[in-house]
Amino acid sequence: MNATLRNIWTVTLHELTDSIRSRRAIVLLILYALNAVVATLIFVKVLHEMENQFEKAVGVAEAQKAGGTTTAMWKNRHFRELISHLVGNKETAEKLLETPPLALFFGWLSFFYTPLLVILMSASRISEEIWSGSVRFMMFRTSRLSWCVGKYAGQALQLLVALLLSGLAAWITGWCRMGFFDPGANAAAIALFSLKAWIYGIAFLGLAMGVSQIIASPHVATAIGFVVMILFSVVSMLAEWVTRQPWQEILNALDLLVPGGHKMDLWLPDALHAGVATVFLLALGAAYMLAGYVRFSRRNL
Amino acid sequence: MNAALELKGVVKTYGRRRALDGLDLAVPRGSIFGLVGSNGAGKTTALAVTVGLLCRDAGTVNLLGEGTFDPLRHAGRVTLLPQDSRLPLHARAEDLLWFYGRLQGLTEGTLRESIDEVLEWVHLNDRRRSPVRTLSHGMMRRLTIAQAFLGQPELVLLDEPMSGLDPREAARIRAILKRRHDAQTVVISSHNLHELETLCDGAAFIEAGRLVRQDNMDTLTRRSRRVTYFLEPGGRALPMEELKQALPGATWEQTPDGAELTVKFFDETARAAEVNARALAVLLGHGIGVLEIRRGSNLESEYFSVTDAHAAPVAPST
Repeated sequence: MNATLRNIWTVTLHELTDSIRSRRAIVLLILYALNAVVATLIFVKVLHEMENQFEKAVGVAEAQKAGGTTTAMWKNRHFRELISHLVGNKETAEKLLETPPLALFFGWLSFFYTPLLVILMSASRISEEIWSGSVRFMMFRTSRLSWCVGKYAGQALQLLVALLLSGLAAWITGWCRMGFFDPGANAAAIALFSLKAWIYGIAFLGLAMGVSQIIASPHVATAIGFVVMILFSVVSMLAEWVTRQPWQEILNALDLLVPGGHKMDLWLPDALHAGVATVFLLALGAAYMLAGYVRFSRRNL
Repeated sequence: MNAALELKGVVKTYGRRRALDGLDLAVPRGSIFGLVGSNGAGKTTALAVTVGLLCRDAGTVNLLGEGTFDPLRHAGRVTLLPQDSRLPLHARAEDLLWFYGRLQGLTEGTLRESIDEVLEWVHLNDRRRSPVRTLSHGMMRRLTIAQAFLGQPELVLLDEPMSGLDPREAARIRAILKRRHDAQTVVISSHNLHELETLCDGAAFIEAGRLVRQDNMDTLTRRSRRVTYFLEPGGRALPMEELKQALPGATWEQTPDGAELTVKFFDETARAAEVNARALAVLLGHGIGVLEIRRGSNLESEYFSVTDAHAAPVAPST
């Protein structure tokens, strides 16, 4: 194996084992799984309440468990037409309606919390090694780029495991708490959303690792990571709201450079949109990481 | 000279401050070489620049005759014990060495043998499975020394290697350094000049980021040109004429209290043993008690005499 690839792989493995030893990985997995379980429980409860109110309004017996009425409504032709109208594209709406409600909720949830947890857990990964000086034991053994890429890959693998585990937690919770639950369809849809959330998270991981290479203080790096993430969200929101020229065009162009600008494409069920969004998000992650590397490659360690 | 490390006109600035101000240095291959200098003289900076931890502003670095440090070319061949750097606390000692060894390209078999060897050297074999955070300060220091010798590197840079070590472990490390294989070059930055004097073949005095003097240890400490006799106090008058006749061409110096007598000989061919034989014959023949004999000066005295002009003035105490 080429020395560079071998070193990237060595650093990736070390990053994983170090996370396990330091219990960082356990904290990460617990955070993701707990988040998924609690959110799913709230979702099931709210859904049950809404269904019971609906059942009361139409004069039918209230169901003991959640999911029955929604499943029936999901199959209702008029409801489907309403959703098609709201989405504005019948094919997309049909695809979305093929997705079980719990999976849709999980998708929304994981897209919401993944960036937050990524910044929280990863923005200090390089800076803390600069801060403690432990980076100095490695930089005469491998290139700075190999080390950074290895750290990035290690964090990306941890994120994938965490998202799949949170999907599993949501799936088990739904299976236990919902009356009408299609295990196969839910498992497939939740797994797909976990992968999509991972791709979305990879872009934020690039941001976290980029900031971590620029800022030597772990706490400051995490804080700046959050600030930049908020700025990215503001750009995406403004790109949606602002209609005055030339601001709209400028904001739309800027929106292409932030992960939020590709979120909806990644959500869409068709392979073309999701594929293009995937390429953009992976490229953005790499670009943010490399932007940090420009500083790291020349910094005094 | 076949140099393992050569720095020419290296400049490194931190803001307005010049940590290295055109530093020149040439470390002979296969030697143990000491870097001596006051705090902030630039020793640590020089070592960090050598392995690319710090980016230099000017000058050239030539490592093993192959140019500037390149991780792909020099990984595993040049290692560093950095000063004030913390090892990752959660890793186990053995796993950490394994990780470092793999990064520097050692194969599994070689690495396993090398880990056993260096852990044995630093007396940490019984703690190999312990997480770094459970090791004492001295043990962590020994582990950092172990990592620097992993895989028999050609050039080892040690920044204050003995700080924090107990006397027994320090002596053990000194013995290990002396037993290193012939082709290995070791550069040691230290404030312990006695230690450097006993360990090193050569040394460089660095002050204010510049080389003040560099030479082999014999020349630096004038071992081949000076012998000092420590005499019994209150003894008899010294037979100076007889001594001068015994060693023609040598000059004699005596301290006012008569306790130290130094002979300086400029003839390169004169051997210390021969000088001793002649001088002692005269001294003992006159019943003068000789308490101790020291060959040469010592590194500390030479360092002070050479660098006094460069050292920062000491602020008066209030």
